[in-house]
Amino acid sequence: MRLIPSPRPPIGFKGRLHDARTATVIGRWLGLAVVACFATGVLSHVLQHPPVWLVDRLPSRPHWGYRLTQGLHVASGIAAIPLLLAKLWAVYPRLFAWPPVRSVRHALERLSVAVLVAAGIFELFTGLLNTFQWYPWPFSFVPVHHAVGWLLVGALLLHVAVQWPVIRDHFTRRSPGTLTLPAADGPDRRQLLAAVAAGVGAVTLTTVGQSVTALGPLELFGPRSPDHGPQGLPVNRTAAAARVTEASLTGWRLSVDGPRPYSLTLEELHAMAQHEVTLPLACVEGWSKSARWTVVRVRDLLDRAGGSPDVGCRVVSLEAAGAYRVTDMGRSYARDPLTLLALGLNGEVLSLDHGYPARIIAPNRPGVLQTKWVGRLEVR
Amino acid sequence: MAYRYVVGGGGLVLMGFGGALLLEQPEPWRVAVWLAGGVLVHDGLIAPLVFACAALAVAVGPRPRGVPRAALVVAGSLTVIALPPLLRPGGVANATVLPFDYARNWLLAMAAVAVLTLVYAGVRALLRRAVRRR
Repeated sequence: MRLIPSPRPPIGFKGRLHDARTATVIGRWLGLAVVACFATGVLSHVLQHPPVWLVDRLPSRPHWGYRLTQGLHVASGIAAIPLLLAKLWAVYPRLFAWPPVRSVRHALERLSVAVLVAAGIFELFTGLLNTFQWYPWPFSFVPVHHAVGWLLVGALLLHVAVQWPVIRDHFTRRSPGTLTLPAADGPDRRQLLAAVAAGVGAVTLTTVGQSVTALGPLELFGPRSPDHGPQGLPVNRTAAAARVTEASLTGWRLSVDGPRPYSLTLEELHAMAQHEVTLPLACVEGWSKSARWTVVRVRDLLDRAGGSPDVGCRVVSLEAAGAYRVTDMGRSYARDPLTLLALGLNGEVLSLDHGYPARIIAPNRPGVLQTKWVGRLEVR
Repeated sequence: MAYRYVVGGGGLVLMGFGGALLLEQPEPWRVAVWLAGGVLVHDGLIAPLVFACAALAVAVGPRPRGVPRAALVVAGSLTVIALPPLLRPGGVANATVLPFDYARNWLLAMAAVAVLTLVYAGVRALLRRAVRRR
């Protein structure tokens, strides 16, 4: 007698709702969140590390643009966490498909799903931990999170293409595939989907206050709060971390290099600072808050040094070291009347941790490029 | 039919681009370990735990459905996003990073979920009784 291998999986799942309709509905929400997260993430990457041909063409408007897109990046990533867990719950029994591999095609299909799941878990995990400034992994966050983002969105497209017949057959409540499922599961499924939606709502409401100041009172689990920070604004890099001290700033002058170089004392700058402007500070980690800045226009400073209207600007900080000590801004930023050198914040002189004596504040720009402790501007 | 191949092919191209970016990293195998690790931890640890809890609930009582299941999903979602600030070791860069008492906030959130669940279930039971009397 020959032993015939069992065609049934070694592990059985008796629970309901591990079906294609549940997976399709949650998958649609998750797909939207992933696409929104990817698009805003790539946008942020381009704003921070623009290719050479784009440097002078980056849009400096709308002035709230980066606040919106980066807030959306982090919020859609957080919203995707319950969605990904629910999606994996719905399809988990398929992990034990029997036989594990039926053909080369089936093996490739499973491999692509493995890449999709791995990239999805990886992106949400590393992204969430980054907002808490927790880096337990032995690689650099920004380039790896960026690379795996492309891997994820590619694997997602492939997955949708492979599964399209199943998705189409379960797209609505009355689609042919949905109708073959037990009718009694319908109300149960709707309750489960409502529960997942409530989970998404709960994680969003308890974190989004870090970027939507009006929802600050509901914030429980965000890494930053609009209510916590000197002069009403959170701080990322302190003066101590940048090794800038009051003593190191004695005799500070702003030098502006160009065809007609000159320098200004703090008193001379304060005499020029007649404008008060409200602009948000929006960090790559997702938090943002609007503030009132007392400012001199960077464009006016560059013009006085003989800069022509089609030049950009290099900003050099006094900080001892750091990846963003020297930053370049392209023409579109340098010529924008809202690109500013700020001396005051919310009616007070800028505090040391916010970049005293002077910092850059420009519209639609990642916070990490809003250089603090500015020592020199160079016409380029 | 053809558009499926276009979309799938486009996906493969994007995956290739992401993979090429990864290979530019100093030690790409370290990333591969963390990519695989995430799947192993979910599929081998987190998911079996969730299914075991559900099986346990079924064994001792009714299948968790409706409002109790929704409460568990919401509480679980909140707990997942509360874990990083609760478990993160080491000090913070400055006082504006992680400004809350996250353990207190987590307890608050769990209490809020419990209260809302009980209120919802209570109101629903009362409404049902009123309907039956009529």
